[in-house]
Amino acid sequence: MSGSKVKTATLLLCLLPGVGYLLALFGLPLVRVLSGSFTERGSEGPTLATWAELFGNPVYMDGLWFSLWLGIAPTIVSLCISLPLSALMQANETSRKLFGTLYKIPLVVPGIVAGFLVLVILDRGGMAGRLLAPLGVTMPRLVRDDWGAGAIIALSWKTVPFMTLIIAGSMAAISKDVLSAARTLGANHLTVLRRIQLPLAQPGVTAAVLLSFIGSLGSYVIPSLLGPSYPLPLSVHMFSEGFQQGNWPMVYAMGTLLSAMAIAVLLAYYAIIGSLSRNDTARG
Amino acid sequence: MKPSLSIRQLTKQFDSNLVLKGIDLEVAAGRFVVLLGPSGCGKSTLLRTIAGISDPSSGGIWLKDRRIDAMPPEQRNFGLVFQTYALFPHMSVEKNVAFGLEMRRVNKRDIAHRVAAALELVGLADYAKRLPKQLSGGQQQRVALARAIVIEPDVLLFDEPLSNLDAKLRDTLRDDLRALQQKLGVTSIYVTHDQSEAMALGDEIVVMKNGEIVERGTPIDLYRRPAYRFTAEFLGMTNVIEAKLRDRACQLPWGDVRELENPSERDVEGVAIRPEDLAIEAVETDHHGVVEQAMFMGAATHYWIRAAGKTLRAITSGGRTAILPVGQKVRLVPPPMLHLLRAHHPLQEVAA
Repeated sequence: MSGSKVKTATLLLCLLPGVGYLLALFGLPLVRVLSGSFTERGSEGPTLATWAELFGNPVYMDGLWFSLWLGIAPTIVSLCISLPLSALMQANETSRKLFGTLYKIPLVVPGIVAGFLVLVILDRGGMAGRLLAPLGVTMPRLVRDDWGAGAIIALSWKTVPFMTLIIAGSMAAISKDVLSAARTLGANHLTVLRRIQLPLAQPGVTAAVLLSFIGSLGSYVIPSLLGPSYPLPLSVHMFSEGFQQGNWPMVYAMGTLLSAMAIAVLLAYYAIIGSLSRNDTARG
Repeated sequence: MKPSLSIRQLTKQFDSNLVLKGIDLEVAAGRFVVLLGPSGCGKSTLLRTIAGISDPSSGGIWLKDRRIDAMPPEQRNFGLVFQTYALFPHMSVEKNVAFGLEMRRVNKRDIAHRVAAALELVGLADYAKRLPKQLSGGQQQRVALARAIVIEPDVLLFDEPLSNLDAKLRDTLRDDLRALQQKLGVTSIYVTHDQSEAMALGDEIVVMKNGEIVERGTPIDLYRRPAYRFTAEFLGMTNVIEAKLRDRACQLPWGDVRELENPSERDVEGVAIRPEDLAIEAVETDHHGVVEQAMFMGAATHYWIRAAGKTLRAITSGGRTAILPVGQKVRLVPPPMLHLLRAHHPLQEVAA
């Protein structure tokens, strides 16, 4: 009896560094945020008032959807650039060297600098506008526009190198012989990408999508610089609720909602990927 | 009738390194040709260039009358079997085999039928639903073979397909492969560095060295009457002995005189005596050499004989004779006819 107790104690002690670290730095703050969301400014007891206010206020709800949009759109845009880029980098040594250097440039530029770059170039009266004006082309509104195009461009610009780094890495791990085998069996470059490279690089693509989505979803600097004045993403609301209004229960509720949305979107993503990859392993 | 393949003046350059120095090779329809050579001789590069996954720097490849060297690999209809198997790890065995047929837009019913037939042919009918990682190396290579033949390729290409397998499996698969090729009659080119594999499989062997073809011939011709010392030494064991040439005969260092098969040969590097053709007799006096080492190998006994200032190898077969002890004095009995070996001089590297 006491022997098994000692065993359990030893086990717990062994787990402590890893699990304890997770509990202290991840679990506790999460519990604090979650419990904080069930309080109300000025009172102590548990209440649903803050949640009711969050869901009841159309300004916040528009903010939630805009946050999701800012999470998903740059992820899709970057994926459309990173996937072909990663595949091209596998094609031969020359393209690997060329793209391999170019795509890393945005890695070393801080987000706020990227934001200002987009502002300077794409804003009405910016560099692009002035260059195109003599040709009679008027730039569409890209900065502080309703769809957040400027913010999406800046976020994508920042995300592409990270995504390419991860996806190109997992594509480079695929045996060259496997790709050559597909070619000799009759697959062109595009089919090899679709049938071989993408499914085999899928864990890398998933990691890249996850990192990009979470990063863009919670971004603050770029949407406040380049995004529209309405709606504001939840991240911007969280800042003003906390630091300008002192409404911390609302900050907690918004944080919880944003995390829950992130989890929901990722679960949906996994479901789609799962059903796609089942096509090839099972008999079609 | 399967088409023949012609390769003319094919070169391949990597940076300043010429790895193929103007290869000319004709492969007749339905023949099984083995490219044999040490690693780095360019044999795999040649094969990959034929397959289209590597581009030649100059020269051409013709499939019968059609020039194919500028064609992408997916349009050539060649089956390629890799040393690494190169199966698609995320697809089941039958999906792997079906891939080439799907690319050819064969209808689903025919695909199922042909995949089943191909798997039956390589003895893996019961493994259709498995993933490659659930199979042994030998089984994986059988799947790769099925995948290559199911598309009914014009030419089958093999890049050291047995090198990753253990010895016993290698022999079994090698025999199956030969039987299969003869049954299908597909023009085949097979790359290996293993001379016994080359002799067992090939209708013809092409010996390569430093990006060029040294010589080609049937296994028997190349083994018994190689033109070059390089071929003689690469294709099995051989004793190369410097002998005094006299007209149509030669005198061996220990005094024996033998007739020559090819007395008109120039630029000679010695005469070849295969170890199994060099008989030895134990004697007490008038000996030519002494036994330096003896190794009993089961079916045969290998001897290292110190004679005429060098070590010669001799192989005696049969289980009846006793094994000669180390230090035993022996007489050497060479075969009645001897064969002269020519020196091989590599082509000058063409300046880029």
